[in-house]
Amino acid sequence: MSAPLLEIAGLSAGYGAVPVLRDIALKVDVGEIVTLVGSNGAGKTTLLRAISRTLGARGRLAFDGRDLAPLSPEAVFALGLVQVPEGRQLFGRMTVEENLLMGAYRRKDAAGVAQSFERVYRLFPVLFERRRQKAGSLSGGEQQMCAVGRALMAAPRLLVVDEMSLGLAPVVVDQLLGVLSDIRGEGVTVLLVEQDVFAAFSIADRGYVMETGRIVREGKVSELAQDPEVRRAYLGVAEGG
Amino acid sequence: MLFAQILVNGVLLGGLYGLMALGMALVWGVLNIVNLAHGALIMLGGYAVYFLFTGAGIDPFAALPIAMAGMFCVGYLLQRFLLNLIVRSALLNTLLITFGLDVVLTYLAQLAFSADFRTINPSYAGANFTLGGITVPLARLAAFAVALLLAGLVWLLLNRTRLGRAIRATAQNLVAARLYGVDPRQLYAITFGIGAALAGAAGGLYGVVAQITPYIGTSLTAKSFVIAIIGGLDNPLSVVLGGLVIGIAESAGSLYLGPTFTDVISFGLLVLILVARPARSLRTA
Ligand SMILES: Nc1ncnc2c1ncn2[C@@H]1O[C@H](COP(=O)(O)OP(=O)(O)OP(=O)(O)O)[C@@H](O)[C@H]1O
Ligand SMILES: [Mg+2]
Repeated sequence: MSAPLLEIAGLSAGYGAVPVLRDIALKVDVGEIVTLVGSNGAGKTTLLRAISRTLGARGRLAFDGRDLAPLSPEAVFALGLVQVPEGRQLFGRMTVEENLLMGAYRRKDAAGVAQSFERVYRLFPVLFERRRQKAGSLSGGEQQMCAVGRALMAAPRLLVVDEMSLGLAPVVVDQLLGVLSDIRGEGVTVLLVEQDVFAAFSIADRGYVMETGRIVREGKVSELAQDPEVRRAYLGVAEGG
Repeated sequence: MLFAQILVNGVLLGGLYGLMALGMALVWGVLNIVNLAHGALIMLGGYAVYFLFTGAGIDPFAALPIAMAGMFCVGYLLQRFLLNLIVRSALLNTLLITFGLDVVLTYLAQLAFSADFRTINPSYAGANFTLGGITVPLARLAAFAVALLLAGLVWLLLNRTRLGRAIRATAQNLVAARLYGVDPRQLYAITFGIGAALAGAAGGLYGVVAQITPYIGTSLTAKSFVIAIIGGLDNPLSVVLGGLVIGIAESAGSLYLGPTFTDVISFGLLVLILVARPARSLRTA
């Protein structure tokens, strides 16, 4: 077995004096789709901030065997660890096309960027139709597609998506999940943070469950889906009924 | 005919005002710094062109690019080593620091250049031509043309280049820009440098059409502030439009009310506009 693409061990982090994450261990292997689920305020976004180095943390944090601790957010990004942040964070007064170009801001290979454009427009034809429209004027679903598209323009090795399904219609969620499966086929590893556990489990290989800053369950999603505690808390299934 | 003459005077002056405000609007929009030292940077640019002309005999319009390059460096270094400390911090901090900078620059200019009035006086300074009964001063027309040209270049930079895209992206969403590999410190320094270069150009042109002293900064900062609010922070061309509005209003006002009222006019107009369309002005500011 090769080393994991993302490896986190004994990681703790917080805001000022307030601790949020305690002793987190998590790994993502090359080619996997891994999901991280947990209720509101569990600390999922905080963990992603620690991974992207926009929030300081203690403990082991490595990408492709390389320690991330001394790196700036820009340097982490340059390694191919790319985030679709919570709330999408598009450049609202720029066009869809310009948003996508910003995803490729650091890339020097014009041919590769052109290919990425093609891929994004193939995955999301609606973005091609609306490429001259301001991103802020898109529907919620289109905005999320634009956010995922922008991240793909960066040619990620690990794509980290936070709360992809929030506020979106089921049919849009399905389409986005389909895209994540597709790009995994094209060699992109995915870490998906979700509150919609059904949706996340439908495409992921493995999952982690976080509660109040700790990982409380982990395993194959097929096993997690059988776990009585997970079923009760996250899948809304009453046992013994 | 008098009215047409006032309009022409106002438009020519307004183009220059627009250029003055351009750098301030850019810095404000991207760095969220209301630069109270912007007028002092205009003043420095004016002296730079003045000394290039009187000392080295370089035509003021040819001296503009040199002054702009110098002012870019001044702005870049100021941002890198001083203003990066307060970028995107509370408004009060940015006001305090840039106010302090304004005081220091004004004081140093007074030490270095004395308080004498100075005018950049090339041979064609008094030249003008008459068109359908309207007198058009040549130097003012050229200053107007240069102002428009620079505004157009800034528009192209912002909308058609990779650097400009990154500048706008950072202005709109700093978190996302960082997430996609923009180094904001570098970008802020470049943006402030561009703002200072534009101020430098405006100062050089101002010296051709008016008089320079170390103290012109304050009123030019105020004017730029008003125009930036009227024109908004997003689009260089609408900033120039804001400059034209103020230019015409001042040109008309100084005739009907007297020249001492010009500063009152721009602020009066600001109040009127804020009352008339508060939502837009507050959103863009
Ligand atoms: N910028 C911040 N400053 C201080 N505390 C914060 C900050 N962001 C989050 N927190 C706190 O950290 C804890 C974890 O928040 P986090 O956003 O990581 O949760 P989450 O699992 O992503 O929740 P959600 O599913 O609602 O997005 C919460 O108690 C929250 O109040
Ligand atoms: Mg979250």
